[in-house]
Amino acid sequence: MSSLELMPDPAALRRSVEISNLIKEYPNPYGEDFRVVENFNLNIREGEFISLIGHSGCGKSTVLTMLAGLNEISGGGIIVGNKEIDSPGPDRAVVFQSPCLMPWMNSFQNVMLGVKNVYPHATKAERRQIVEHSLAVVGLADSMKKYPAEMSGGMQQRVGIARAIALQPKVLLLDEPFGRLDSLTRMELQDVIIEILAREKLTAMIVTHDVDEAVFMADRCVMMSNGPKAGVGEILGIDFARPRNREVVYQDPKFFEYREHLLAFLEQRAHLKSSTRVFSDGDTMGYTDKKGLELESHATSKATSVA
Amino acid sequence: MIFAHMKFFSKIKYPILKAIDVSGLTFLSPVVRLCYGEEPRVQMKKISQWILIPICAIILFIFLWAYGSTVVKTKSGSVPGPLETLKAGESISKFGNYEKAKEEAYTLTGPERDEALKKAQARLGKMDPIVKAATDQVGGAKAQYAEVIKKRTSGMTSRRDALKKSYSANQSARKASLAALADTLTPGNETAYENFMKEVKDHTDKTDLEKEELATLAKEIKEIEDEKSDDVAKALFAQTRAAEERQFLQKQIDQLTTQNKGLKIETAQAKIQEDARVLLTLTGPEAVKAAGKIAKARSRLVKTEESVYAGPKTLGYQIKRSILCVFAGFLIGAFIAIPIGILCGLNSTFMAAMTPFIAIFKPVSPIVWLPICLIIASAVVPSPDDSAFMDWLWEDAWILNHYDINPAFIASAITVALCSLWATLANTALGVASIDKDHLNVARVLKLGFWPRLFKIVIPSALPLIFAGLRISLGVGWMVLIAAELLSSSEGIGKFVWDQFNNGASDSFAKLFVVVFVVGIIGLLLDRIMIVFQRLVSFEGSPTAI
Ligand SMILES: Nc1ncnc2c1ncn2[C@@H]1O[C@H](COP(=O)(O)OP(=O)(O)OP(=O)(O)O)[C@@H](O)[C@H]1O
Ligand SMILES: [Mg+2]
Repeated sequence: MSSLELMPDPAALRRSVEISNLIKEYPNPYGEDFRVVENFNLNIREGEFISLIGHSGCGKSTVLTMLAGLNEISGGGIIVGNKEIDSPGPDRAVVFQSPCLMPWMNSFQNVMLGVKNVYPHATKAERRQIVEHSLAVVGLADSMKKYPAEMSGGMQQRVGIARAIALQPKVLLLDEPFGRLDSLTRMELQDVIIEILAREKLTAMIVTHDVDEAVFMADRCVMMSNGPKAGVGEILGIDFARPRNREVVYQDPKFFEYREHLLAFLEQRAHLKSSTRVFSDGDTMGYTDKKGLELESHATSKATSVA
Repeated sequence: MIFAHMKFFSKIKYPILKAIDVSGLTFLSPVVRLCYGEEPRVQMKKISQWILIPICAIILFIFLWAYGSTVVKTKSGSVPGPLETLKAGESISKFGNYEKAKEEAYTLTGPERDEALKKAQARLGKMDPIVKAATDQVGGAKAQYAEVIKKRTSGMTSRRDALKKSYSANQSARKASLAALADTLTPGNETAYENFMKEVKDHTDKTDLEKEELATLAKEIKEIEDEKSDDVAKALFAQTRAAEERQFLQKQIDQLTTQNKGLKIETAQAKIQEDARVLLTLTGPEAVKAAGKIAKARSRLVKTEESVYAGPKTLGYQIKRSILCVFAGFLIGAFIAIPIGILCGLNSTFMAAMTPFIAIFKPVSPIVWLPICLIIASAVVPSPDDSAFMDWLWEDAWILNHYDINPAFIASAITVALCSLWATLANTALGVASIDKDHLNVARVLKLGFWPRLFKIVIPSALPLIFAGLRISLGVGWMVLIAAELLSSSEGIGKFVWDQFNNGASDSFAKLFVVVFVVGIIGLLLDRIMIVFQRLVSFEGSPTAI
């Protein structure tokens, strides 16, 4: 009886995300508004892990920040749980590319920052426990009193992840969270995230440039078409059992198939772009194209090192 | 090298270096590193650059100053050199010590008083011969010097006398011949008159020339006579010192005897007791009179008990009061500037509203603010007698009670605030406006409310710039304060400067030079303090001041 009373409304616990006909336009002072994203449709099931890849500048961060509520939506809508979102909130935690820690706070205080708001009725000791637990989960139980300046980039990003999960969000949003880390740290943190998601049953979306990462971590891999007016190009279901073991997955022939598929998609888009470049805005395209090639070469070099 | 092998010393190496870094005394760190034998060559190079060269520059400056002071002459004597300035500083500190001793003497009682009195009297007994010897020395030195001068000028004086004689003889001869010529003139004879005119002109020209020659000679003699002798100056200095000490001792003895607080109280109490006893025997109007007298004596006694030594202000007191005033003004300014700056940084509409005021008031000089503040402060600030707050300030307030917080003080402090707050305001606004957008995004995701966002994110990230602004403000405030005190004659360093400027004592010019160094060094210390604060609140990648 009492346990039933404590159970929140099941609808409020729903963690699915529905993105329908999402549009994003940036104002352009010299002409028509610049429509970056158009007709972006995606349904994410509860507890599903989506990876979002695409060429640089196609609008991945734009989609993710709109989902986070940090970026205004120009058209269409996003429903998280059963509520349409219109502002940022702790139900959708974000891990940014740079850890974005407050340099004047130690790890504990950085994580505590949001906890106070999310658990207004918790006692001091309970809050403390939540923070300590989150830090322990990311492997920082010993570094609670450390300031960002005293920690490596990987450790700082761990604090960023701890801060996100301490909010007990419904959705975890990661924008190139490991972009600035070396590959060993990157793998460690990938495992940390996968573990957390499995335990907390969170819905998650990760934006990444690393094809291996996209395949290894996600349940479905969403490939965005090139901007402007980018949308969902193709969706690839990744069919590995969880919990996933890196050695096993990397040996699996399916892994290479998925990788090749994603690379082929990106390459094809790159060619498409270079042929359409003549007709569109030269500058933006030239820039993204360069970055796009970088993504490919990065992925290839990774492939050789793994193979 | 020296410490490298000792465990304790090697442990404190990095804490020392960090403390040096935080306090901004970075020139010391090569010395420490050298002591630990770390790259001696590099450290020696740094030491020679940041320690030896500045010392050489200072020595060079002192030599140039010493030389320059002998060249430049002003109406108030020659410009004081380093030595005179040092002596003036010494005499300022001596004066301070005398005043302190007198202040102590005023409150001494019982055996301590007796002992102090004995000591002072013994010393005073020795003073008369010393003063006399010093006076004699002065007389001797003066006489000796007069002798020297006389010897040096005797040739010139006799020449001047001889010339004077011969010139006056010449002049009378010329006058006589002119008179004779005038007698021979026949009216109407133009050439004769013309000739006469020429003669007369010739005579006046010559007379002028002779006068000028005599005047030049006299000036030369005067210059020699006016030359100051080092011996005489030294003797005079010693004499002044001795006379000052004697005067001090007399005054100190006064404070220990006739002026002494304890003694005054004792006699007053005895008198009251005596009167009270007499009162017991009286009736009628006489009793009324006697009782009234006793009542008056009692209230006088209370005043005496509360009194403190009232002597002239020493430079030490004035320095303390100036520092108090600059911090008062600085804090007022900070309390105004930081909230407004934060609002400006947060809200561009508010910034737009404030911009015209900032633009107009910022360039206004302290000279304009001060009279306005003085008028307002004297109108608003009540006298301590009829305001509980002012009474509290004068009687009980923490450290403030020794410093006579009066309208002039408040006006100076407000002037300091008005002139110094702009740097803090601008830097605070900049600091708040330039917060990392990512940090704000984090705050949005965490749904922080206004106050947590303000205190946990906005202010901490703006603190380095706020402190940079405060540091500039304190520097500006210190400069403004001296001028404000000078103009408002509020006790403080500015007042000291004004007093020295107005009093024609032989060393007041040198005392002004002392003030230059005092003001400079205090300003430097204030700046250092603010640097330490600024470093303490800074974080990696924090923005720097404008
Ligand atoms: N504030 C803005 N104003 C105008 N245009 C913008 C703005 N932010 C992004 N854009 C444009 O929107 C497009 C998509 O940007 P976005 O940051 O979402 O790309 P991305 O896919 O995340 O790229 P990357 O992989 O490099 O992070 C880009 O062409 C960019 O120029
Ligand atoms: Mg991006």
